[in-house]
Amino acid sequence: MAVREVLVYPDPRLKQVCRAVGEFDDEVTQLITDLLDTMYAAGHSVGVAAPQIGSDLRVVVVDVSHSKLGRDDNHGCLVMVNPEILEREGAKVMREGCMSVPDYTGNVTRAEKILVQFIDADGIERVVRARGFEAVAIQHELDHLDGLLFLDRVSSLKTDVFRRKRR
Amino acid sequence: MRYFALTIIGRDRPGIVSRVTEILYHMGCNIADSSCSILGGQFAMQLIIAHPELVDGDQVQANFAPLEQDNLSVFVRTLKPGGERRPELSGDLCLISVYGSDKPGIVYRVAKELGERNINITDLNTKLIGSEQRPVYVMMLEATLPEGIDVDSLEAILEPVRLELGVDISVRSINPVEL
Repeated sequence: MAVREVLVYPDPRLKQVCRAVGEFDDEVTQLITDLLDTMYAAGHSVGVAAPQIGSDLRVVVVDVSHSKLGRDDNHGCLVMVNPEILEREGAKVMREGCMSVPDYTGNVTRAEKILVQFIDADGIERVVRARGFEAVAIQHELDHLDGLLFLDRVSSLKTDVFRRKRR
Repeated sequence: MRYFALTIIGRDRPGIVSRVTEILYHMGCNIADSSCSILGGQFAMQLIIAHPELVDGDQVQANFAPLEQDNLSVFVRTLKPGGERRPELSGDLCLISVYGSDKPGIVYRVAKELGERNINITDLNTKLIGSEQRPVYVMMLEATLPEGIDVDSLEAILEPVRLELGVDISVRSINPVEL
């Protein structure tokens, strides 16, 4: 077990598209352990994606069950290998921050409900319907697997509330 | 590094940002923080800039003389050492919406309640909307709450102001989520 250093932008590994996991070998098992250790060691963290600790495999961990926003509606600790979002519904804006982009936050609009398919830590195919904060956290972490940061998703400046459609 | 606060404002038109930043670039200035927006028909730029050698605000100002000729107003403030660093803003972040029929004192009355309680306003936007016959005033502000004040207690604090002004007020938490 190991708590790994969380990479910070402009580390190029945060901008790469990760590769799918083939078989569950030692590298994958070790990666999952390190992701979980790193997430829980950070205390306030509700998710970590493999590229944040320098791996280029499609693996993320998410656990919003200890956070105020997510504790009433969650699936506990989720280990997601080769995750894919099958359905998206609704919209939710949250002001997001990221351990890999310190000292900056921005409003991001994401789906409010998602249906996500993945392989869990035991190698079993699962499909989970998540909503609210958990759904946002999953979408944020999955973006990391495609080299996307929340900076690529910011949907409004603070003044946006005053912008109106052209008449 | 010496830091300066630079404010530029003038009739909005395309090309203001490019003219200003061209001058900054040729001066060798860094732009640290900045916020620029259209206010009414004016474009307002506020920037914290840094220069490795310049120490005199007048020297900085002199570089912008051509802009003054183009009807842009330029103001330079020389920062004391450390003045460029943001203080630690701890406490819950909340957004307060205040809106209602336009009348004098909306901003002042709300800001007074906040200031008296050490609630730090970190962002403030106001806009007059609606028709000329029925103008509506909208104010959005972000503030950090000191220990002992939460969203609910702030709403209670603002309740008398809401009744006095006959406006609508809502407060909500907008703490960033770290993912």
